[in-house]
Amino acid sequence: MTPATTSPPTALSPPAASAATLELQVVGGSLAAEVKALSDASPMSCYQCTKCSSGCPVSGRGDLSAHELVRLVQMDQREAVLRCRFIWECTSCQTCITRCPQQVDICSMNDALRALSLSARLAPAETALPVFNEAFLNGVRRRGRIYELGLMAAFKLRTRRFFEDMDKAPMMFSKGKLPLLGERVGGRREREGLFRRAAEGSKAEADRAAEGSKR
Amino acid sequence: MRYTFYPGCSLDATAKDFNISTMAMAAKLGLELPELEDWICCGSTAAHSSDPLLADALPAKNLRAAHGQTVAVACASCYSRLKMANHHIASDAAVRAKVAQVVGADYDGLTPVRHLLEILGRDIRGDIAGAITRPLTGLKVACYYGCLLTRPPEVTQFDDAENPTLMDQVLEIAGATPVDWPHKTECCGASFSIHDSSIVIDLSNKILSMAQAAGADCVATACPLCQLNLDMRQKDVEAKYGHRFKLPVFYFTQLLGLAMGCSASEVSLDSLVVDPRELLRSKGLLGNEAR
Repeated sequence: MTPATTSPPTALSPPAASAATLELQVVGGSLAAEVKALSDASPMSCYQCTKCSSGCPVSGRGDLSAHELVRLVQMDQREAVLRCRFIWECTSCQTCITRCPQQVDICSMNDALRALSLSARLAPAETALPVFNEAFLNGVRRRGRIYELGLMAAFKLRTRRFFEDMDKAPMMFSKGKLPLLGERVGGRREREGLFRRAAEGSKAEADRAAEGSKR
Repeated sequence: MRYTFYPGCSLDATAKDFNISTMAMAAKLGLELPELEDWICCGSTAAHSSDPLLADALPAKNLRAAHGQTVAVACASCYSRLKMANHHIASDAAVRAKVAQVVGADYDGLTPVRHLLEILGRDIRGDIAGAITRPLTGLKVACYYGCLLTRPPEVTQFDDAENPTLMDQVLEIAGATPVDWPHKTECCGASFSIHDSSIVIDLSNKILSMAQAAGADCVATACPLCQLNLDMRQKDVEAKYGHRFKLPVFYFTQLLGLAMGCSASEVSLDSLVVDPRELLRSKGLLGNEAR
């Protein structure tokens, strides 16, 4: 035996040639497929140029940067992705998709990931976005338009954040920007139907995507 | 000219000054903006970040009700959602069919949607100069576009995505001096103002600091959330970062209205948190009117 063949394998050693020991690393598992089916994003197109993170207003403050999130999706790191704070801190400013050379729509991907994170019950406890969204959409369903004062009240009741921004309400009242009565539009029954059909349709879509990504 | 106006929810309340000044300015220009009857909320960020079908269905229901007439929009967020729904529905027959099922009626995604700045800067640009009676001479304005007017460009087709100039052009016709600055399209944090204000305070600090460094006397906005964050939260930003801005944050329609001879109350200057009167008086843009 020559010394070359007896030395232990290193990172620089050529890969084992035998078919029996060859293990293929599959990149792009079920999460990337699911995201693609549920959003306008093709995460597998990303080649990590990091342009998204350079322009991202929240990449510096979150636990992940935009390009890191995409990489984790490519590597099918479902739990790390669905638990991260970054998807909840994305402001949907659309800078990433505007600048991405591969048109990976990270904003749209984050919308899909938020829904997956919620249904997997992995969203960080401190995120208030789902509560806000629910209060907002409930208002639209009932009244047809957003009644901002009612929305704030509903949000504060649900999150128990009574003392945040205490100075803002009187200021807004005095500026006439928080009317005590909000606008209302008729057609509530029709709207209830629209919201129900949308929720059912989006749910069916999500189920199909989850099923499809397993194949 | 006549457009069907979609005000959106903010213009009823937190951005009522945007609504009032838009109508005052439109009257001076002979621009007719009848309100879309029984319009409902576009769904805003809450819809697209929780239910993709709802996010297309709410705009579709509104745009269908315009019966093919061009819809004029003031709020950047509404503009973005209406344009995005049009884009999804017109470019994908499967989406169109799903949305039709949710709405209960088919919509082709082809109702034209125009932002006020597109109408002013392109459709009726030639009418502006003739309506100016009190040019905004000497007023240095940082034109702030925010995120959703320009991005994503293939959906909104508003202007250059990195360096839009429509607002600069319109205010220049009104006699103002737009400053050259790099944060025209940076994000202010938008609706995070309510559920995670620390993001808004940090981002608004960058925008206000840059406007000040560029030598602006004031900021002009085209979005209710941008205006609210930069104006109402300016004191919070000053408290956290320890510098003083004192930068009035207008809707561009308020500045145009003033230039067209509207009084302070006609463009609802009282609604602004950072008082603009001292600045406007120093430039001779406000008479001795009490309000």
